[in-house]
Amino acid sequence: MPEPLTLSQLQCLINEGIEGAHPLPYWVAAEVGEAKLHSASGHFYMELVEKGGDNHVPKAKVRACIYKSEYKKVNPYFLLVTGSGITAGMKIMAKANVTYHELYGLSLKVIDIEPSYTLGDMERQRQETIRRLEEDGIFDMNSDLELPAVIQKIAVISSADAAGYQDFMQEITAGSYNFRITLFEAFMQGEAAEESVISALESIAVSVDEYDVVVIIRGGGSQSDLGCFNSYRLCCNVAQFPLPVLTGIGHDKDSSVADMVARLSLKTPTAVAVFLKERMADFESELDSALSRLATYTRSAILSEREKIRGLGIDLNFRTSGRLRAEGEMLERISVRLDFAYKSFLRTQSVLFEELANNVSLSGRLFISNSLGHLRHKESLISAYDPRRILERGYSVVRHNGSVLKDYGEVAPGDDIEIENKDNFIEAKINSIR
Amino acid sequence: MKKENIRYSDAVAEIEKILKKINSPEADIDTIGADVKRATDLINLCKTKIRKAEAEIEKALAD
Repeated sequence: MPEPLTLSQLQCLINEGIEGAHPLPYWVAAEVGEAKLHSASGHFYMELVEKGGDNHVPKAKVRACIYKSEYKKVNPYFLLVTGSGITAGMKIMAKANVTYHELYGLSLKVIDIEPSYTLGDMERQRQETIRRLEEDGIFDMNSDLELPAVIQKIAVISSADAAGYQDFMQEITAGSYNFRITLFEAFMQGEAAEESVISALESIAVSVDEYDVVVIIRGGGSQSDLGCFNSYRLCCNVAQFPLPVLTGIGHDKDSSVADMVARLSLKTPTAVAVFLKERMADFESELDSALSRLATYTRSAILSEREKIRGLGIDLNFRTSGRLRAEGEMLERISVRLDFAYKSFLRTQSVLFEELANNVSLSGRLFISNSLGHLRHKESLISAYDPRRILERGYSVVRHNGSVLKDYGEVAPGDDIEIENKDNFIEAKINSIR
Repeated sequence: MKKENIRYSDAVAEIEKILKKINSPEADIDTIGADVKRATDLINLCKTKIRKAEAEIEKALAD
């Protein structure tokens, strides 16, 4: 029966074998699966993975640690170059010794990290995110949204105690405009940031009608990681969000993809607040100017209508008087003609009358002369019967008792009679009657 | 003048129609008086409407 080794002896053997086989450090490229600074010891613990295995199981995985002494040198330089601390999801190129510990097993002892590798990878990720968003056709979706003329109801994604949020609130509440701000709290940095911001967006999306815009702000002094703002998932959510998204993520370096897909990207939270206030002021002055244009326009419209009506009045007056004048002139002409016609009629009539009168007087005279002729004739006839004429011709009139004696039977011889001749009255006595 | 519920634009159109009628040789002198009276009434109506609109506008703008 062979003598067994103790576990520690075996581990020791493995240790010797491993460390003996790998005496020099390697430069290794891997993705940070988990990362955590152990605050008590100051050591930085990571889990490095190589993705690409089946069923989302990594192809390879190993624990790694940056000891405090190394971390103090590595981390500031890494921050300086990449603008970010070492966080999960990053690809790093690390110089590491393979170590084996009796208690903790295999791990990598990282002694250096090349930050430009990570920077390059971050940029690659950034470009990849941009490419995918463009490929999906959603890159410009949020940028193409119209900013409402009046932005009053604002959904803010930030963490309540972030300096950036305080700056934003201080700026936006200073002034006369009344904004309704609703805070949707989210972690703005670290591993949870991506998921946290996405879930805040989803909360806003539930009552999207209650907000005009979404403002994503963070910031303050610390130069912290922006990795989540380049992540495809977060940017995809921002790009497709139904409300315009305004960012004030506060960084000096190249803008993040989230900034690029947002409707409007500003440097700082304060700048976002200033923009919102200025937009309100612009709208107010636009209203003022519209009002004054309205006043000008309506006044000029009234003026022009008044002129038009006045013109119509003048026209009416002119045309009416013209018309009446024309009628009057026509009447005048008619009356002149009438006058003329009347006078000429009268003239004709008077000539006729004169003729008639002449005729009348002529025939009157004729009549009179005829009558006179008749009368004379009659007179001569009558005078022929005048007894005096008869007496002159030698005849006598015998009267008896004053009466002309026509019947001699009335008298007897011896009666007195009276005889009248031309010159004398003779008294006689009847001697005999035979 | 009878309070008439006629639109401003209709009133203007009618005034123009009357003017045209008065100006035409077929105008009847019997009705020209009534036509002119009608046109004058309409013009006054329009003036009233303008004054009213102006007053309303100035009041609205003053607010």
